[in-house]
Amino acid sequence: MTGWRPTAALSRSLLVGGIGVALAVLAGDPVLVVLVAPFVLLGALGLVHRPTSRPRMTSRLDHGSLHEGQGTVSRLLLEDVADVEQVTRVAAAAPYVALHPRDGRVGRLLGDGPPDLEVSPRRWGRRMLGQEKVGLHSRWAGYRWGPVTLDGQEMRVLPLTAPFDSRAESPQPLGLVGAHRSRRVGSGTEFAGIRPFQPGDRLRRINWRVSLRTDALHVETARAEEDAGVLLVVDALADHGRSGGTTGTASSLDLTVRAAAAIAEHHARGGDRVALRVVGVGGEQVGYGSGRRHLRRLLGTMAALRVGDPTVDEPETLQFGATGGTVVIVLSPMLAESIGTATAAVVRRGLPVLVIDTLPPDAGRDGGPAVAAGIDPVLADLAWRMRKVEREQVLGRLAALGCPVVAWRGPGTVDAVLRRLARRAQLPQVRVR
Amino acid sequence: MTGRLTAGQAVLRALVLLGPPLALLATGLVGVLPAGWLVALVLVLSVAFAAMPESPFGTAALLVVVAWWGLAFRDGLHPQAVLASAALLVAHVAALLTSYGPGELPLDRDLARLWVRRGLAVLASAPAVWAVAVALRGQPEPAGIWVAGLAAAFTATLVASLAFGVGASGGD
Repeated sequence: MTGWRPTAALSRSLLVGGIGVALAVLAGDPVLVVLVAPFVLLGALGLVHRPTSRPRMTSRLDHGSLHEGQGTVSRLLLEDVADVEQVTRVAAAAPYVALHPRDGRVGRLLGDGPPDLEVSPRRWGRRMLGQEKVGLHSRWAGYRWGPVTLDGQEMRVLPLTAPFDSRAESPQPLGLVGAHRSRRVGSGTEFAGIRPFQPGDRLRRINWRVSLRTDALHVETARAEEDAGVLLVVDALADHGRSGGTTGTASSLDLTVRAAAAIAEHHARGGDRVALRVVGVGGEQVGYGSGRRHLRRLLGTMAALRVGDPTVDEPETLQFGATGGTVVIVLSPMLAESIGTATAAVVRRGLPVLVIDTLPPDAGRDGGPAVAAGIDPVLADLAWRMRKVEREQVLGRLAALGCPVVAWRGPGTVDAVLRRLARRAQLPQVRVR
Repeated sequence: MTGRLTAGQAVLRALVLLGPPLALLATGLVGVLPAGWLVALVLVLSVAFAAMPESPFGTAALLVVVAWWGLAFRDGLHPQAVLASAALLVAHVAALLTSYGPGELPLDRDLARLWVRRGLAVLASAPAVWAVAVALRGQPEPAGIWVAGLAAAFTATLVASLAFGVGASGGD
């Protein structure tokens, strides 16, 4: 029930004042009136300022979607608060959400405005803020409204995009217009060679120095500049290690999502077409696109991904859906056999594939998988070690197929590998279909 | 009270704890010391008051002190009563400030300043009443003045309760 109720302070004032005055009158002792006179006044003032308004309150976030580590303000919106003098707000703690004041408790006089809470999510994903209780007090603390419970609000927390800037060429630019040098000759600016003039060549392409020397018109040719397709495959089958948010240790999924976000941002801003395939419960997919709007869509999809085995795809039928002319970047701790199998299948098709290993170095020690009750920890440790041995075998087989595997180390992680892939893409290949 | 008290809340609870015993022992300044068991009783009630500022223990502690002052001096208008009144008021206002939120809520400075001003304003009534009582002490007492006063006090309380108290909590 919500409504104005007398406070304990008002009851205490009235009781002490009333009984004190009664005793003074009965005993004819004026010293008791001296003692309780302030209480009589406080009680009377509390009663006189009895509130009649019916306050309404809601809370609202300034931003419902933001990057992890960024901050926003949770504002308390109050209506019909003519009788309210003071507001107290207590918010419950929520995982991976930092509050300021630190414990989520704030109270102030309403004359200074409703108390605000500063909120900062510390991990990507959908974050639900804790419930909060709001109490209002009338003037002279005579009456209290509430505490009223307000439900927590949901935030969509986009992954932090680590500064990432690759200068490496894309191995397979195959689009219309872009920033990557293509294998085919076109109308770019990168010099490709000089050849005899053919009908249809532009006059401004004629190289007069060579033409005079050879007594025949020659033109300069350039390499076309095209955009590239990048398919990001995010392994959300499981989360290994412990996540300490933006300032603590990173779990495998933290590394995966943040690396994918950084790569997506780099390519999408550079005009490349970026697609996303999440291997997890939801099997979220985003088609090819570029630009800021597409990047937000990619980040939003990553923020909403759910961890677990896919319900539709069986391990043996898992496919990434990569098309020709696409660079496939698989971000995974490579602990699931299905991911390794699907990656190998794409490599055999001749597509340039890069595996970014996102298993944290400390996974398996303190940050190893949680052991269910009743299972021998020694046995669990042995199982974990066996799984890591299997992982090494999978990585070895991928390397034998020619698929580079690098651990995510932030900016520059993929430069050298992409350069090697670009050089390899110039060579003739035999593809398995 | 589940978590750690903030510094401000700890100071407030210390004031709640100390107020009633100090008001009780103020009669010692006039040479009348309360019995040991009475001091212990007030101390226990004050501890409970400080731990649970919204509990009835506070009212009990204050009333015991008021009753002791009535019993210790029959018609004794000592200025130390103003000191005792101040101690009781400090305990009451400190408890009131703690009741604005949980023990982990930091004390709002503006709110504390407001209540210091209010406390000083209402405390002014104690020396005023004492001065009036001292001035009227030698005057002949009209017959039935105390009965009339009692009736007036009850009537005022009844009217105030009807006018302001009942129905204040308009529930949803």
